[in-house]
Amino acid sequence: MTPTLFGRWQTRIFLLATVGTLISLPFHWGYFGHESNVYFWVVFYVGLLGMGWDVLYDFLQKYMWDHDWPGVFQFYAGVVEGLVLAAIIANIGLPHIPKTEFDLVTFIQHYGLVWLGVYLSSWVVMRLLFTRWRFRGGEWIGKWPRIS
Amino acid sequence: MQIKLISQNQLTEEQEEQIFDLPVAIGRDITQLPQGMSPVVLLDSSKQLSRFHAEITSDNNQVYLQDKSANGTKLNDENLRGERRPLKNGDRVTIGNYTITVLLIPDGYTDDTVVAESTSTIFINPQSEVTTTSTSIFESSQSSIIFNSNTGILEQQLTPTTSTPSSEFPHNLDFWQGKRVSLEAIDRSGFPVRETEYVACGGGMGSFAWVDMLRIAGVKTENIQVLSIQNKPYHRYETLLSNCQIPRYKRIRSGSDSCPDNIWGWPGYALRDAWRALFSGQVGAALGFLWQVFAEPIHADTYTPRAKDVFESMDREAQRIGWNKMLEPGSILSLRQTEDGRYCIAYCADPQNKRHPRFVIAQYVHLCTGYPGIKLLPDLEKYRQDHPEEIGDSRTVVQGYEPHDHIYEKLEKQGGTIVLRGSGIVASQVLDRLYKARQVNPNIKVIHLNREPHKGNEFDRAQRYVENDWEFQPYNWPKGTWGGDLRRMLEAADPLGRRELLQNWGGTTTASRKQWRQIIKEGRKQGWYTITYGLVTQLERNPRGGVVTHLVSNQGLKEVSADFVIDCTGLVSDPLQSPFLHDLITHYELELNPQKRFHVENNFEIKKLRNQSSRIYAAGIITLGGPYAPVDTFLGLQYCAHRAVEALAAAKAPGVRYIEGIYSLWQWLKWALNNKP
Repeated sequence: MTPTLFGRWQTRIFLLATVGTLISLPFHWGYFGHESNVYFWVVFYVGLLGMGWDVLYDFLQKYMWDHDWPGVFQFYAGVVEGLVLAAIIANIGLPHIPKTEFDLVTFIQHYGLVWLGVYLSSWVVMRLLFTRWRFRGGEWIGKWPRIS
Repeated sequence: MQIKLISQNQLTEEQEEQIFDLPVAIGRDITQLPQGMSPVVLLDSSKQLSRFHAEITSDNNQVYLQDKSANGTKLNDENLRGERRPLKNGDRVTIGNYTITVLLIPDGYTDDTVVAESTSTIFINPQSEVTTTSTSIFESSQSSIIFNSNTGILEQQLTPTTSTPSSEFPHNLDFWQGKRVSLEAIDRSGFPVRETEYVACGGGMGSFAWVDMLRIAGVKTENIQVLSIQNKPYHRYETLLSNCQIPRYKRIRSGSDSCPDNIWGWPGYALRDAWRALFSGQVGAALGFLWQVFAEPIHADTYTPRAKDVFESMDREAQRIGWNKMLEPGSILSLRQTEDGRYCIAYCADPQNKRHPRFVIAQYVHLCTGYPGIKLLPDLEKYRQDHPEEIGDSRTVVQGYEPHDHIYEKLEKQGGTIVLRGSGIVASQVLDRLYKARQVNPNIKVIHLNREPHKGNEFDRAQRYVENDWEFQPYNWPKGTWGGDLRRMLEAADPLGRRELLQNWGGTTTASRKQWRQIIKEGRKQGWYTITYGLVTQLERNPRGGVVTHLVSNQGLKEVSADFVIDCTGLVSDPLQSPFLHDLITHYELELNPQKRFHVENNFEIKKLRNQSSRIYAAGIITLGGPYAPVDTFLGLQYCAHRAVEALAAAKAPGVRYIEGIYSLWQWLKWALNNKP
């Protein structure tokens, strides 16, 4: 993939808000882990911190001759983001996620599934819904500028 | 005294040359170059060039190069910082991203290989941004191997012509000479006339992408007409592939999600490959394909689809959208605006026998006529002219895109030496074929000839990877030009800025495939593959039947004898050589971009041809050098089609909807279930 910074942000927000929320529902209802709102907050922080992470990725991407971001980098980035988020929650906690509520196994299950869902749907959902998406580095909002 | 500067056009991969009177001043800003010196202005977006970078002067019959720059000039392998050095014939001067070979032309010397008028777009006049057509550009050196516009067959042409005689249809009709033609005049002419809404001129890959997009956007088959001399949209493409040693079962240089049969790019060819492998019990192979698309190009070679799979998927899509219902055999002759605000296209419905001239009138037209021919390097062209007796299977000097199987057959039988020119993807494919021939007959030697060593282009913080003098890139342009930040950057730039960006991203590259890199390593180690540098000045027939290549380099003059020469320097052609496009450009005085291709808007419209609410769009190689880099690739053609159809939707063209949201998903479902759009 060859995302632009705006593309990264737009795609991240869209997919976390849709796919991320959907995947959090069974956790929220207590089918996995325990019944809580905390899963939605985890997704929220993945998005919030991710906006910052994306700036770093966008910088690093320019070192690639093709200015691309291979799937395997998305995976590495997902692992690093997860580790940092887990470390923050476990040691300090975040607003609406007290550190006492942190459970490593549940976190891995939830975060891992959300990452996988977002990764796979960026290949499928984004392309099928927005034909402009892949030509604009992941930007799905708006049409092409008109030429009078 | 004069000098000839030779460099490669990184966009078209064409070798360009121009002669200058000494003294010469080189720099990026013409206003900073001293008066009284021949100015050589090089475009530079990487800020590596100084306004006045270097000068070449002569003194007592000795030519000198002096660096005047902040970043230095390289002479062969030596870095100059403000120094002056004597220049020899064949020396290589590197300035920023440009590598220029210098030939010295002593006074009174006439070089019969010199092209009268320079065709160079590298050593440019910076005042010209978008040029209006002058007839001079058509007098430049022309391809001698052309696709016959009636039969589509690739053939040698001894006296190339670009314009249709005025005695032929439709140029023999009086009303055709005006700017706009009236419908009554067309009717009165007595030739059959049809009316429709959308017409695709050319029935190749680009037209297929546009028509596919239109059909999915909601236009019905009865409102679309495709004029073509090909019976399959991939016919010409497949011919070129098989000539350059890529039969159907081999993998082409294209990405997994560049699917001409699927506008969404999902499922890509890798997933389909994996699916098929899984169901034939090859779990390992299936996982391998998925791993490739996941890890490319970091931990795995880039995935590429088989030609066969692409063609078969296109057959299915052609069937689904009713391609054959829209297709009409026709060689396009000319196009005019009509007085009622549409377009009239004159074509010949029986091109093989040059019979059945006809008209079709339409509101929206798409031009995607592709490469009109193959251009040979000047020395190859001259050899061809000197040895007209060499035809068909007796040819010893061929272009990689021409049929040349006889060379491998002869090599397999008798062994021999072959000179391979160029380092692009075709050179890789040819070398791969030669490697197979060596397994039949180990007595085959390959001399790989390049003008200069590859240094690896630089842009931003990145540099392109080079190994054993082959420069690697997954596709013919950096991936970011398809839909990433590089695409955006190019679109935002002005015509000259685009020229500079493309110069940085272009150049001859091949795909990094483990097997090919192994062949090179093995060949170098065993000594049957050697690399030689130099500029070819002449090809000559060896009395014993082979070909002698005369080279000039900073090491002096050199001769290389071989049995065959295969030129793989690229599929180069001047798209405007097509008589149809030539007529269109001169009749309407259309603008050309700095690459002398059609100047198009960011949505690929040729705005100057707009006629009331009617519009004409262009796509493919005829738009190279414009807002988009990879115009002649599968995904690039889909991008052109996407932008053009989105523009049609914005202009409320009849039957065209935006393909987005639920409608897009619905259309994808129809694709998946193989239902009509």
